[in-house]
Amino acid sequence: MEFPTEIVGEKGYIHITSDLDTEVAGEALRSAFNDIYDRGTRTIVLDLSGAQIINSYGIGKVLSCYQRLKADRGVLMVKPLNGFVKETFELLMLDKLLPTEK
Amino acid sequence: MEFSRPHILLADSDAKSHEAFRSFFERRGWDFAIATDASNLGQALETSAFDIVIADATMPGVSPSMLLGHVFRKRPGQALIVMGETAYSDMGFKLLRSGVTDVIAKPVDFAWLERCVEHAVSCRRNDQREKQTYAFVTCEQTEMRFSCKQLGEVQAISLPILGRLLDSQQITDTEALKIRLAVQEAVLNAVEHGNLELESRWKEEVQAEGIDKFSQIRRERLADPNFANRAVKLSISFKGEILEITIRDEGKGFLSAHRGPVPLAQNLSCSGRGMTLMTNAVDEVRFSLNGSEVTLIKYLAKQRS
Repeated sequence: MEFPTEIVGEKGYIHITSDLDTEVAGEALRSAFNDIYDRGTRTIVLDLSGAQIINSYGIGKVLSCYQRLKADRGVLMVKPLNGFVKETFELLMLDKLLPTEK
Repeated sequence: MEFSRPHILLADSDAKSHEAFRSFFERRGWDFAIATDASNLGQALETSAFDIVIADATMPGVSPSMLLGHVFRKRPGQALIVMGETAYSDMGFKLLRSGVTDVIAKPVDFAWLERCVEHAVSCRRNDQREKQTYAFVTCEQTEMRFSCKQLGEVQAISLPILGRLLDSQQITDTEALKIRLAVQEAVLNAVEHGNLELESRWKEEVQAEGIDKFSQIRRERLADPNFANRAVKLSISFKGEILEITIRDEGKGFLSAHRGPVPLAQNLSCSGRGMTLMTNAVDEVRFSLNGSEVTLIKYLAKQRS
């Protein structure tokens, strides 16, 4: 499994195209993140519109990306969230931590 | 074979083709509607339910993948027959792998099309009967047993009962997702903290390439038969509109080592959220055997009302 990435201007985008609830999906996120991070981009936007569900494993992987960027004065953002993923982010107050790209 | 009158949507921009299909549908006495472009197709799917959609893959401005997107986004699981220049091309096989019911070549062999439609509609009627009947099931019990190695291979457990409860409208889409999430969290706990005896703090110890110590030791233990062969058992019971799912592992239990809830707003660690997600997703969570056994309880809508 691979998540598509793109760099537009100063921002890198990772398009999550499956649920973020398995080791395979977590590895795909780590690999996509490394791809953008290694090219020097320090503002990375997660597009979670392709995910219906994110569990604690997936959230752990997202926060691992957040920590790596924060340590390098970078920013991890999310595209506007919907549905149950949005509800999960709000429950865990991740919406306060990760800014939404307008 | 029982075969009640099907309701068909033809998506095709060719006027000559419309005539041929209209004549065929009328001879068979089938109900039908015609969409002449992608926009019409979208509107028709929004306003009516069809037993089957027969769509031309060569409509101007709509690629086959766009066509599938139009149909399956509006109507997931919709029976769809696609007509193409050749049925047995790479594109034909790709369409079949993408969930299309059948692919037929143009010009259309109407005798063959009739068999395809009858088969698809018969399957759909059977599915509908099964879904309607399930609403009358009063008790169901399932037991599952996985080794940690097997769970690693299947990646995520899917509970067939959730699909049946959803189809028979006893739970909503969101409730199904929540129950699925709660089960995932409980099984993750059972595997990682129960059977594999992994410690959450290892998630914070990130090594080269962004790989954390937790993931590394997890892989090592999944390759060690002493850990990998330990079992996780699921017992799923649906009775009297109460869904009860018990997950039991063969570890020492994690409650005595559990650090307790961390204030969410201050919690930037990579772990410690599973319990919050689990307890929020169902109506009750009961722990026993020091956390080696977790029971998730969901009272279905009828019970609450």
